[in-house]
Amino acid sequence: MGLRSYVITRIILTIPTLLLLLTAVFLVMRVLPGDPAALHFEKKGDPADVERLRQILGMDKPLWQQYINYIGGLVDIGYLRQHGYPNLGKSMYQTSEEVGGQVFSAFPATLELAIYATIIASVLGIMLGVASSKSYGKTPDHLIRNFGTITYAIPVFFLGLIFQLIFGVYLGWLPTGQRISNVAPPTTITGLYTIDSILQGNIIAFVESVRALLLPSLTLGIVLSGVFLRLTRANMLETLRLEFVTAARARGLQESTVTYGYALRNAFLPVLTMMGLQFAMLLGGAVLTETTFSWPGLGKYMVDRINFRDYTAIQGAVVMFGLFVTLVSLTVDVLCAYLDPRIRL
Amino acid sequence: MIGRVELAIVALVLIGIIVSSGAMYYASVTLGNVSTLKDQLTDLQNSLQSTLTGLETTLTVGTTDSVELTLDPAQAYDYFGWNIIQQIGETLVSVQPGSATGADFVGNLATGWNSSSDLKTWDFTLRSGVLFPDGTEFNATHVKYSFDRAIELIPQIPEGAPAGLGYGDIFDHTDVISKYTVRFVLKIPFSPLLGILSARSSTIVDPKYAPRNVQVNYTAGDARASTPVAFVGPYKLSEWIRVGGRDQEIKLDANPKYWNLAAGYPRIKHIIFKFYSDAAGLRLAISAGDVDMAFRHISPVDVLDLQTNPNVKVWFGTGAQIQYLCFQTKRAPFNDPRVRMAVAAALNRTDVTERVFLGLANPLYSIVPPGMLGHTEAFAKLGEANYTLTRSLLAQLGYNQGNPLKFDLWYESSGHYPQSEQQALLYKQALEASGVIAVTLKHADWASYKLNRDNEIMDAYVYGWYPDYVDPDDYAFLYWASWLHTNYANATQVAYYDQARATTNSTLRTELYGKIDGMAVEQCSVVPLWVSGAWAVTKPGVYSIFLDITQDMRYWLISK
Amino acid sequence: MRKKTTKTPGSFSAPKTSGSTKTPRSFLARIIPGLTSLTRRGPSGWMVTLGIAIVLGLVVMTAVSPFVVPHDPILYHGPLRSPPSLEFPMGTTDLGQDMLSRVMMGGLIMLQVAALSVFICFLIGVPLGLFSSYVGGNFDKTVSLVIDAVYAFPGLVLAIAIAAVLGSGVINMAISIAVVYIPSYYRIVRSQVLSIKELTYVEAARSIGAKWHTVLYRYIFPNVVPSIVTVLTVNFADAVLTAAGLTFIGLGVSVDVPDWGYDLTNGRKLLTSGAWWVITFPGIMIILLALGFTFIGEGLSELLNPKLER
Repeated sequence: MGLRSYVITRIILTIPTLLLLLTAVFLVMRVLPGDPAALHFEKKGDPADVERLRQILGMDKPLWQQYINYIGGLVDIGYLRQHGYPNLGKSMYQTSEEVGGQVFSAFPATLELAIYATIIASVLGIMLGVASSKSYGKTPDHLIRNFGTITYAIPVFFLGLIFQLIFGVYLGWLPTGQRISNVAPPTTITGLYTIDSILQGNIIAFVESVRALLLPSLTLGIVLSGVFLRLTRANMLETLRLEFVTAARARGLQESTVTYGYALRNAFLPVLTMMGLQFAMLLGGAVLTETTFSWPGLGKYMVDRINFRDYTAIQGAVVMFGLFVTLVSLTVDVLCAYLDPRIRL
Repeated sequence: MIGRVELAIVALVLIGIIVSSGAMYYASVTLGNVSTLKDQLTDLQNSLQSTLTGLETTLTVGTTDSVELTLDPAQAYDYFGWNIIQQIGETLVSVQPGSATGADFVGNLATGWNSSSDLKTWDFTLRSGVLFPDGTEFNATHVKYSFDRAIELIPQIPEGAPAGLGYGDIFDHTDVISKYTVRFVLKIPFSPLLGILSARSSTIVDPKYAPRNVQVNYTAGDARASTPVAFVGPYKLSEWIRVGGRDQEIKLDANPKYWNLAAGYPRIKHIIFKFYSDAAGLRLAISAGDVDMAFRHISPVDVLDLQTNPNVKVWFGTGAQIQYLCFQTKRAPFNDPRVRMAVAAALNRTDVTERVFLGLANPLYSIVPPGMLGHTEAFAKLGEANYTLTRSLLAQLGYNQGNPLKFDLWYESSGHYPQSEQQALLYKQALEASGVIAVTLKHADWASYKLNRDNEIMDAYVYGWYPDYVDPDDYAFLYWASWLHTNYANATQVAYYDQARATTNSTLRTELYGKIDGMAVEQCSVVPLWVSGAWAVTKPGVYSIFLDITQDMRYWLISK
Repeated sequence: MRKKTTKTPGSFSAPKTSGSTKTPRSFLARIIPGLTSLTRRGPSGWMVTLGIAIVLGLVVMTAVSPFVVPHDPILYHGPLRSPPSLEFPMGTTDLGQDMLSRVMMGGLIMLQVAALSVFICFLIGVPLGLFSSYVGGNFDKTVSLVIDAVYAFPGLVLAIAIAAVLGSGVINMAISIAVVYIPSYYRIVRSQVLSIKELTYVEAARSIGAKWHTVLYRYIFPNVVPSIVTVLTVNFADAVLTAAGLTFIGLGVSVDVPDWGYDLTNGRKLLTSGAWWVITFPGIMIILLALGFTFIGEGLSELLNPKLER
């Protein structure tokens, strides 16, 4: 199967996957005990009022009709063109806000954190993994391996809190939370503060957003680096034994060229897959990190909305997340196939 | 041998991160945008600024709250939404700051009032010379418009405050008597009307920004269009940024046309709100000096710890949030008031308030909190951990050490109430220490908890209440509230309640609420547990924080 | 919450049938001599042994704890938030409970949840992966589609939803964690089987008329075991941390059961005021438990990977 046809097939296949995902979340939400309409009435709850609210939320219609309406909203191109985001309905908790708007405003925060955390995790992990594999069996190898396993086992919020205490409170170098402090956020182009501030030439905003990003992405990055470390090490160990490496060395090539140009290149594929997987995972929002650093991302959004039984919000967020996960795994698969001709899908 | 290249790269990365964070910090300092190692530079900056420009100070407030949905008085029903509305708008009357009873009303947009003897017709004289930002003078038509609009919107917004407070049942219609006189004609005699009128749902709206039949929602980038409130308060809403359904930033700037400018308010010209995810994050922020003030919520442990911190000041005040224990009275074992009383007597409130809340909450012996008229110590009659009474009552029904009273005690586990799981543990321990009770703890998240309440499957459950307005009228009904689903009813108590809301005679009202409490102790359908305190943490140079029984944070009174 | 899919690339070995006339040795009989020889296999062997020791140590501690705890872990008779002292070697909580007793007994919930969730995962994910990829065709495509949909569901949200529907408790927590991890098992097994089933000796087995279940069990499954074992141990570590995460959200067990996850959540709030001992000791325990399983997994994956033979 040629690459192009593979890509097209995969893209077409995402539609039933997403549809299945949407149906699943639609049903799962409605199985949850508790009524989103009743939850609005903190104190009193006149049944007539609750019923009125249910009508406003569209919950009085039969289930299949709600489902059809929802799907119909998703493919509403006019709405998409008008708002810039798809029609994911109105939130059942915040009844006048568009879920699409909410999800699309919360998502860039998660995306930015995920990008930087993955970068830190993979750079740190790969470097340490390579270093560890080069000194297999000796002390540096053991030290690095243990570092990798230990950091992976540390709960994220524990490490985050330690960093906040050290860098935020005692040293006072970095803000303890939020995406940006002391200055207004840059105007939204992509939603990623670092990119937007560069695009506008706003150096102060760039500096402030990086300061705010440092602690949360470091925390996540260090914890996740263990995965990349172990994977790189394992694959490098195998690759370094292969004959072409010995051959390259025999030809007199420099060690660093052999390590990076030959061995790492071949060991990289599973690591790339893992990068994709981890990145996709982070896109779901690391609730614990977001709570610790008051990061207004999708993770906390989803967890809060579950408590409010906000069906539409969860559906919207899950669809967004599912879309991105499938996109990322498709990209990774295609990249892998491109890089390794042995992989024929 | 470990490769030098790899080691160098890793070392460089780590050093780079450390160096860049230091560089960032330095860069921000030189760019003058952030306070350095705490107060001195900020204080210097601010005092320089205030000497130069005259009181152009800024207060940064950190909070874990967020406006739930709108700043429309016809919809908003959450604490923070009401708080913001109070800074930017005005009501006819309000409670005097520092009031102990919550009944000391002063006129804001009204200067005087009187009511008919049947308490169904109330006339208010309005203040003249109050200007909207565009120069329009405030008069009685605005009052009529605001109340008519709120009541008309009730069917559309059944979950809003006017619906919840019963505006449709209380108000019949509003009349414009003259330019500065307005009359409220009520459907029922209602003595706590001033309390209702001081609530945020009674805030006056600006017809230009308050369409009649439509709720006004947040509009990104346009603060004025995001609220219908008339900007006649101490501040105007300059900026409101929401992301993902949660506030990111709110900026309030002093209102140059505020009617009470002469009194020197607002003292601080600019307020900036910053929003944090949880109490721990907020505590870190105030410890690090990222904010000038932290209000709602800091945990009791952190509060007491911060008292020893010389870089912050802790303020304490009166709280009005209460928690109480409900019993399902329609089936065994709690269909018998003796069993309910036995359990109530075995409770140890002091242990909970000391151990869980570290003294920042107080045991409560009446459903009406202290300070308010009608508060009694009725439930103290049952004693604290009064196991003798418990055992004797339960013995009458055949419960003893070999045959203990068994039931499920439910608590809410998704954080809706503070530290509910710790309280539940203590309640269980106290009850079981009597030797004749065996408690099974069960929990559910808020949505399931409410559902369980409505389905009446919980034997005993802990619930909370937060007042809409400060009057015993907003508390006493909890003993028999149908929506609590305790299946308890008592016509006599209801009769006393209706009588009390139909008179302004405080002696009579006190007596009536006392009678209600007295009957409540005999029946124990709902047992009051504790009343919270209130606290705020600020930097040392901040003054005039009032934490009174209204629970309102009046930012215009604060000075720096 | 992280999902880890370590693919030990192509660790094949011929099926361990020890001769056609004898009855095949049982699974355990094949493993135990291997275990004792672990220590002779170098650093990886030591790693596995260490991991097993840690895990066993924690299990024994938990099992023995009800009889040896100095104080009742629930009752609060100590001073509030007191640092480690002679009477309370690990300090007390904010309610005055003894931390040492809580640490000793608190692992039970975590161990149960992790063990149960891994068991469920294994029971569902592995056979499904084996069968689906062996059969292939439309069945495989459909199952993969469903599994992909589950995989694309944000893990914590799914876990929360399941826990909210089923209620609290060890079994329900285990189910919610298991559902989230089944796709990982499925994928690993499937990718392995896809390559193994094309091998010559498998084809040979089929051509001599072996039934599909024989082929799966005797020929394919043993080759998949090394990667499964690795995923299993990593999964265990992850389940421990996820259980702590669920407690963080408020979906843990009742407060009258000592639980490391609860102390972690509670201790986090106390750390800011200087009471470091409430979060640190359970935290160390959780890290140790996760480490133990990771060591086993790491070591095993190296041991069982013949490509690393020197």
